[in-house]
Amino acid sequence: MASFKSQRRFAYRLLAGLLTLGPLADAQQQPAGFAVERLYQSAPGAGWFVMDDLNITGRLGGAIELTSGYARNPLVITGPDGKQKLAVVKEEAFFNIGAAITYDRFRGYINFPMPLLLSGASGTLAPYQFIAPSVSLGTNPDTISDPRIGVDVRLLGEPGTLLRLGAGAQLYFPSGSRADYVSDARYRAMFRFLAAGDAGAYTYAGQLGVHVRPLNDAPVPGSPNGSEFLYGISGGRKFAGPPGWVVIAGPEIFGETAFHSFFSGETGTEALITGRLEQTNAGRNLRIKLGVGHALQQNFGAAQWRIVFGVELFGHAGSH
Amino acid sequence: MPFWPLIPAFVLRTCERQQSAASPGRNRAHRLTKANFVRPIALARFAAPLMAGFLLVSSLACAQDGAPGPRPSDQFSFMQLLADKGLHDMENESWNAYGQFTYISSWKSSFSAPYTNLNGSINSLLPTAERSFTGTATLYLGLRLWNGGEAYLVPELISERPLSQLRGLGGAIQNFELQKGGTSTPQIYRSRLFFKQTVGLGGKSLVEESGPLQLATHYDSRRLVFVAGNFSVLDFFDTNAFDVDPRLGFLGLGFLTYAAYDFASDARGYSYGGIAEFHWDDWAVRAGRITPPKQPNQLPVDFRLFKYYGDQMEAEHKHTIRGQDGMARVLVFRNHENMGRFSDAIAAFQADPAENATTCTTFNYGSQNAGAPDLCWARKPNVKKGIGGFAEQTIGRGIGIFGRAMYADGKTEVYAYTSDDRSAAVGVLANGTAWSRPGDDAGIGTNIGWISNVHARYLGMGGVDGFVGDGAITAAAEESFDLFYNANFGKIYWLSGDYQHIAHPGFNAARGPVNIFTVRIHGEF
Repeated sequence: MASFKSQRRFAYRLLAGLLTLGPLADAQQQPAGFAVERLYQSAPGAGWFVMDDLNITGRLGGAIELTSGYARNPLVITGPDGKQKLAVVKEEAFFNIGAAITYDRFRGYINFPMPLLLSGASGTLAPYQFIAPSVSLGTNPDTISDPRIGVDVRLLGEPGTLLRLGAGAQLYFPSGSRADYVSDARYRAMFRFLAAGDAGAYTYAGQLGVHVRPLNDAPVPGSPNGSEFLYGISGGRKFAGPPGWVVIAGPEIFGETAFHSFFSGETGTEALITGRLEQTNAGRNLRIKLGVGHALQQNFGAAQWRIVFGVELFGHAGSH
Repeated sequence: MPFWPLIPAFVLRTCERQQSAASPGRNRAHRLTKANFVRPIALARFAAPLMAGFLLVSSLACAQDGAPGPRPSDQFSFMQLLADKGLHDMENESWNAYGQFTYISSWKSSFSAPYTNLNGSINSLLPTAERSFTGTATLYLGLRLWNGGEAYLVPELISERPLSQLRGLGGAIQNFELQKGGTSTPQIYRSRLFFKQTVGLGGKSLVEESGPLQLATHYDSRRLVFVAGNFSVLDFFDTNAFDVDPRLGFLGLGFLTYAAYDFASDARGYSYGGIAEFHWDDWAVRAGRITPPKQPNQLPVDFRLFKYYGDQMEAEHKHTIRGQDGMARVLVFRNHENMGRFSDAIAAFQADPAENATTCTTFNYGSQNAGAPDLCWARKPNVKKGIGGFAEQTIGRGIGIFGRAMYADGKTEVYAYTSDDRSAAVGVLANGTAWSRPGDDAGIGTNIGWISNVHARYLGMGGVDGFVGDGAITAAAEESFDLFYNANFGKIYWLSGDYQHIAHPGFNAARGPVNIFTVRIHGEF
């Protein structure tokens, strides 16, 4: 028993250390860059762009998704005087391919984000000299930036009911260059509590989570401050489409804030107006998604505005 | 001493032919099965003189498929597991997913060399003992979009340490997995993302089996195939030597394809572009235009496909001789790239010795030889051309022999593959069914590479290209001999032992020979 307690204490300390690595950061004259993308997409087949509809059911099933997006000014840094601004990452475009396998209430998935464009303006905001990324398909013809694997589980409620609860975990593998602002060059993990439900023509989803992010460049303006809280909520209305199709439209609001700067205004929040057209057949279904959004609070990759487009094939073999 | 005349002394017994991975051009009718592996001793008696004759008279060369082959149904795979549980249709797939991992460790013994990196040249194979390794892990994901339309995504991870920073060898590089610019820190990248559309034109209905980069389906023996996206040229061109997965076959780079085939590709060996294939029963013709790198042997890609490109065309015919399957192909390529001609580099240096390897103002390989010409002073839009032939033939129930050779013009620098200007290779592949090890494979072969006279003159003046340049040269053919045995365990794992003997490394008779011993661990799922 003593040994078990000792192990548990060690585990708690390790977790606490991971979550509060902030003070260890060093000041850098030339920031090294980090994974600027803050559109932490939900799993392939999860319905929303960021939230999860938790409609996981049936025998063996799955989803394939292709998402592409463009973000404007995802990283604009304000100088010490509060006036000078530098758009270190002015434009960002990506391409993301993912696949999921579902069985009963479980989902396993994998995503491969690929940068198409990152560019911005280099400059000095004393005492830091920022070097803008210069990424295109020509310079980075085969880059996969921080691929992830994840698992989700529907814990409570059935598809189509008023309340469903679930949980998910993701692991990000470092890949790509920090200088390109596509990677932290460190492993990252996310743990999320998920909720979703349907009430007649209305549907909603939400999440609360933790982003375990060892990278902490806290002294550098506009840089990661270590591990973060994640939050988000979405709601929409279903409209009848052509036979066998449904249209769902509604907003998604999501964001993150660093643990140790929770009250210091270092929070990024975005709102996406989303619409999706999806088939409702028993077999393979198609889903087409479009989202247009604007930052409610522009920080750390919460883009000034962005547009996201997605196509998914999803379905399952039948009821379990 | 040249080692290749010794090869006929080795008699290997069987070979299992597998289908092409990425192209339906190689059909089931062209495949050997284990039921064919019988009478090994009689076969050996037949094979030995045939092989001897083949090696003595043929200048054709050989290689392996750049893409993996299909997975036999008795081999473990995730897809087969689903199919066994009634959750997947292995005859007509809407999707599939396969994976592999491979670790290759090579040890090079020390060898004699009167000089190394002479006068500041930098591309010598180091004469000291060295160890090299590669570790790769790959996922092959396929999805059927609609009738005849397929999409493939292949993410891959690599970690590597080459011998002598991948310098000092031409087509005799000992491990085909090595990439230019690779590091021991694992890197994840996308090796392939392409779309394929097949348009049936009738003829016989053939079966495409499930495997990496191929969805199981039926297709017409007469058809058009269009491919666009990001892929390896070797997924479609010069797929051969019985379509054995290279990760289960010869390890030498010279066996992957024609060593002199400087196909346009980035530093990892992949390209963007489009390919069209026309299949008419036993005949096939394919042509493609693909992107070159922006700078020779580098990763960034030049997408100006109307200005810089690699064009290739290949004609293929399948045949049977005395009931044994065979195939012959001819390939021509023409690259238009921003590359340097050796003669221009020499002329620039002779006209002004200040234009030497240490004064480059544009892309160069970092040579410190101030008395040497450098290609950096000669790069401009130039053309490289080559023509090659390939043949493979089963010579009895299971043994396969193959050969391939290519002649390139040799006027310009290596831009993507190896420093060879001409190459030839021959070999034998055998499957272990004959000795009751049906999952095993063995192979023996030789690969020979030459450089042109002007290329040798440039190297002799101390110049370097992407891979070779000792500072001086006694020009000779670079010869490599490769012998491997590949043992299967548990239908998932393979353990290989490989020996390579390389004479005249870097086309320099003053150095070597070199002996390299390799162990490979490979797994599939």
